Amino acid sequence: MSRITRPPDVTQVTGRGRFPPSPGACAAPHIAAGTQSDVTMTALPRSVPLKNLPDPEVIRRVLDGDTEAFAVLIARHRGRLGRFAVHMLGRREDAEEALQDAFVRAYRSLARCADPARFDAWLFRILVNRCRTAGARRGRRERTFVRDEVALSQAVVEHPAPQHEWREEIRRALARLEPEQREAFLLKHVEDLGYEEMSALTGVGVSALKMRVKRACDRLRVLLSDERVREARHG
Amino acid sequence: MGEEDRRDRLLERVVTELRRPVMLSPGFEARVMAAVRAGRRPAAWRRALRWLVRPRWVAVTPLEAAGMAAALVAVALGGALLVRSASRPAPAEPAGQVGAAPGAHPGTGETEVIRFVLVAPGASRVALVGDFNDWDPRAMPLRPAGDGRLWTIEVPLRAGRHEYAFVVNGRQWRVDPTAPRAVANDFGPPNSVIIVGGRSS
Repeated sequence: MSRITRPPDVTQVTGRGRFPPSPGACAAPHIAAGTQSDVTMTALPRSVPLKNLPDPEVIRRVLDGDTEAFAVLIARHRGRLGRFAVHMLGRREDAEEALQDAFVRAYRSLARCADPARFDAWLFRILVNRCRTAGARRGRRERTFVRDEVALSQAVVEHPAPQHEWREEIRRALARLEPEQREAFLLKHVEDLGYEEMSALTGVGVSALKMRVKRACDRLRVLLSDERVREARHG
Repeated sequence: MGEEDRRDRLLERVVTELRRPVMLSPGFEARVMAAVRAGRRPAAWRRALRWLVRPRWVAVTPLEAAGMAAALVAVALGGALLVRSASRPAPAEPAGQVGAAPGAHPGTGETEVIRFVLVAPGASRVALVGDFNDWDPRAMPLRPAGDGRLWTIEVPLRAGRHEYAFVVNGRQWRVDPTAPRAVANDFGPPNSVIIVGGRSS
């Protein structure tokens, strides 16, 4: 999966007041009528399976009326997006709800994806916004959700492997971060984004993001060391 | 120093763990597709109703009319032309007005027929998308006129503010060069704004 290398709203910023709005996304205004214009598409024979086609081609088919082709985009991107949503929201049901919401919104606005080659970045931005909304909606009423989840999963796995315990420890620690710190940490270190990309994605300034990441790291170190100490005592 | 090292190794382990794939429930994809399909149907249904509930006689001004042609030359790249909807049986006067009419009567239920024009030489298809058709690029295809440079469609729009844009060849998002821009949204390129209504005769 390609990394976000250019902020999704670059077209929006640079495109303001220009025609066509974005040189990157709409660079082919002089197209011979009736011919398929896009260079990346002319080379693709009809026989290539849908799931092997690049995003822009799948998107084109969806926009041409093939709604079912959208399933390919879901299958392709749900892994990375699902991972972010699960870590961000802590509970799988919430994560899946936010993710479904993001996909449905993306489908409805698909024609507005100015640069289909960077569909993943555009989609990711929608998801980040959905997670924020979901997090705000849930607010602070469920401080203990990770604990519930742990209890549930440990009921299934009778003898949790050390790996599993470590995973739960991390989940607990993540859940105790402020949401904006958690978001910044995940984008920076798990998604491996640069600060400029993160800024474009979140609408937050670079220095504020750096501060959030730093605080998140500091807090995680403390929380995870605490866990270790506590466990050592119990053990 | 040893302390620092151990701390960074700790975070590294955290990151390694967090980068592992997570499991989604088995039916996830099917559920999303069901939501996608369900999201489609009411939209189409609403669209159909909108057209049916307010049947209007549509007066189309010939584009070749000199005044219109002059207006088009003036805007150079196209725009939304306001054509009065005829609530009387007599043909409406060619309005020839470019852009959105000022003033709105939201909620009055009045509709006016708006002609949208885009100059898109060489395009193979152009669609009008907006909040009035749920941004569906299949709902309102424009027809090529004249030498194929000009694409037009007439759409009855309810009085009030509407956001819209053109989609060229199913992929290129274009704002209307003659219309004001809407405030940016979180989905990407900006939209154009038209305000329908408020033109008393």
